[in-house]
Amino acid sequence: MSRLWTNKPLALALCACVAFTFSCAHRKAVVAPEPPSEASAEAKTAPQPPGEGTTVVGPEPRVAAAGHPESGVTTSELPADLEELNKAGYLKDAFFDTNKSELRPDAREALAADATWLKEHPTVKILIEGHCDEHNTAEYNLALGWRRANAAKDYLVSLAVAADRIATISYGEERPFGTCHDESCWSQNRRVHFVITAR
Amino acid sequence: MKQRIPLVCTLALATALAPPAAAQEEVYLRVTSPGLTRVMIALPGFPARPGTDQAAAASLVATLRKDLDETAAVQLVPEENARLVVVDPGNPTLTRQRWRAVGAQFLLDGSLAGAGNQIVLEVRLWDLTSGEIAYSRRLQGSVGLAPTIAHTLANELVHLFTGRPGPFLSRFAFVSDRSGSKEIWVMRWDGTEAQQLTSHRSIALSPAWSPDGDWLAFTSFLRGNPQLFILRPTQGYLKPLSSLPGVNSSPSFSPDGKLIAFAAGDDGNTDVWVVPAEGGTPERLTHTIGISTQPAWSPSGRQIAFTSAVGGTPQLYVMDTEGTNIRRLTFEDKFADEAAWAPDGVRIAYTTLVEGFFQIAILDLRTNTRSVVAGPGNNESPCWSPDGTVLAFVSNRTGAKQIFMTDPAGRPRQITTEGNNVQPAWVAQVQ
Repeated sequence: MSRLWTNKPLALALCACVAFTFSCAHRKAVVAPEPPSEASAEAKTAPQPPGEGTTVVGPEPRVAAAGHPESGVTTSELPADLEELNKAGYLKDAFFDTNKSELRPDAREALAADATWLKEHPTVKILIEGHCDEHNTAEYNLALGWRRANAAKDYLVSLAVAADRIATISYGEERPFGTCHDESCWSQNRRVHFVITAR
Repeated sequence: MKQRIPLVCTLALATALAPPAAAQEEVYLRVTSPGLTRVMIALPGFPARPGTDQAAAASLVATLRKDLDETAAVQLVPEENARLVVVDPGNPTLTRQRWRAVGAQFLLDGSLAGAGNQIVLEVRLWDLTSGEIAYSRRLQGSVGLAPTIAHTLANELVHLFTGRPGPFLSRFAFVSDRSGSKEIWVMRWDGTEAQQLTSHRSIALSPAWSPDGDWLAFTSFLRGNPQLFILRPTQGYLKPLSSLPGVNSSPSFSPDGKLIAFAAGDDGNTDVWVVPAEGGTPERLTHTIGISTQPAWSPSGRQIAFTSAVGGTPQLYVMDTEGTNIRRLTFEDKFADEAAWAPDGVRIAYTTLVEGFFQIAILDLRTNTRSVVAGPGNNESPCWSPDGTVLAFVSNRTGAKQIFMTDPAGRPRQITTEGNNVQPAWVAQVQ
C-alpha cells in the first residue's frame, strides 16, 4: 500500500533529518516548550506571546471567516452539542515532522492560538490525540503519538492552560486522516488533533 | 479451533523393538544450523486392514504427506524416485535397501486399522543407515480427527529431527480489520480456519501468546485509552491487566508464562514494565527519557530485548530481566524495531529500514553479524515458527498488508487475503 520513500535522495535527506532529530530527541529541553517570544520570532505571523488578557490575532479571524462567532465568545455562546462544537473547528491541530515529537514553529503558533481560546473558554475540557504517519512500525508509532500528544499538552500548560483540563491519548498510525501514498498526505497524518470533551 | 484429541499412545511396540528411550529423543539434525539439508523420508503409504474407514484413511495419509512436504526439517522421497522402488513383501530388509538406494534416509512404514468410528495408525520409522527402528507410535482417534492424527504424527517427526515442536497444530494470533475494525483473530498456521476472537469495535493490537497457548495478551482501546488485556481464547474470558498512563502496548510473556513485559508510561514517555500474568502491580524496568517499547522476552528467560530511541534513532537493546545491564544490539541500521527471538535464543529477527522500505533482518548474537532479507514492498513484524525453522512476517507487496510465511525453501507465501492482516504471533498449540 505504501512505498515509504519513493525517491532515494529524498529518503537519504529524510534519514539525515531523522538522525539529526533523534540525536537531540532524548533531551527534555527540546521537547519542552520554548519561550513564547522565541516562537513568535521564528514565525513572523505568529500571535503575540499569549499572556492573560492579550488580544490574539490569527486563529479567531479564521473561525470568523468560517462563519462562526467573533472572538470574545463565551462558553454559553458555543454550540450546545459537542459534536457540532468539534465540527466548528475552534481548535487548530498542530503538525509534526517525520519521526519527531518536537513542536515546529507552525505547531507552536497553532497551539498558542488554541491556548488563548481555551483560556477564553475556561470550562472547556479537551482531549489531545497524537497521530502518526506510517514511517514507523505500528507499536513504535503508538509511543511516538503519545509523545506528540504530551508535547502539545506541555506547551499548552506552559501557556497557562490548566493541566487538569487536558487529557491525552495516542492513536499511533491507527486513525490516519488520509490513506497515503505520498508525503503531502503523510504530513497530514503527523499531527495532534483536538477534541472538545466538555463545554 | 480447540482440538481435544482422544489419542491413545502405546509404547509397548516401541519398547519391544526400538532402541532405548534415550535414543528415541536423539536430535538427528540441527535445522537451525546454516547449510541445512532436509532429511529425506520414504512414505510408501499405509495398508489399511478391513474395517478401516476409507475416507478417513485417505485424509490421514494425504494430510501427513502435505505436512511433511511443508517443513524445513524433512522432505519426502520425490515421486519419480519412489516409483523406482520395487516393494518385496517377503523381504522387508531388501525393500529398505531399495529405498535407501533412491536417496531415502528414513522409511516410515505402518498400517491403518479401525472399527466403527475409530481409526488406528501404527507406524515405525526406520533409520535406513543403521537399519534400526528409530521411533514407533500408535495413534488412535475418531475418524473425524484423521487430519489431527496426521498433524500429531508429523509434529512428532519434526520434533524427533529438530528437537523442537512441529508447526502442524500451530496457530497464529493476528490483527485483522476485515470485520471493519481492528480485532484479534486466530487462524491455523496455513491461513485456514480464521476465527475472530474480539468484537471490541475499537482498536485491538499487539497480540502475544503465553508459551503454552493458554492465554493471549493484547492492547485494546475498548474503554477509550489503550489498556492491556489478557484472554483465554477457548473461553473468551477477558481480564484487564494494565491501565497505566500511556500506550499499554506490546506485551511479551516470560518463557515460564508467569510475567508479561509491556510498554507504558506517563507524560509522553514510554518505558518497559513487567506485570504478573495473573494480575498485580506493574513494575517499571527501564527509566529512559523518551521511547522504550516493544519488549521481547528471551527464550532463556534471563533477558529482554526492546526498542529504544534513547541513542537517537530507534534501535534494539537488550537488558537483564531486572532492568540492569542495558546494552545496544544494533549499530548498522538506520532503524531497528520489533525484535523477535528465535527459539534457539541466539538469533533475533527484527524490522530494519533499507532504501526507504521496511525489511526483515536477522541478528546472530553468537557472531554479532546481521543479514537482511529484502523483499518487494515493505516487510515487517517478523515472528518465528515454534520450531525456529521459518519466519512469518507482514508485507504490503500485493497491496494491502498481509501475513506471509516462508516455505521450507525460504520462499514467502501469502496466507491471508481478506482486509489488512498484521502483527502475527505464532504458538505451537492452543490449549
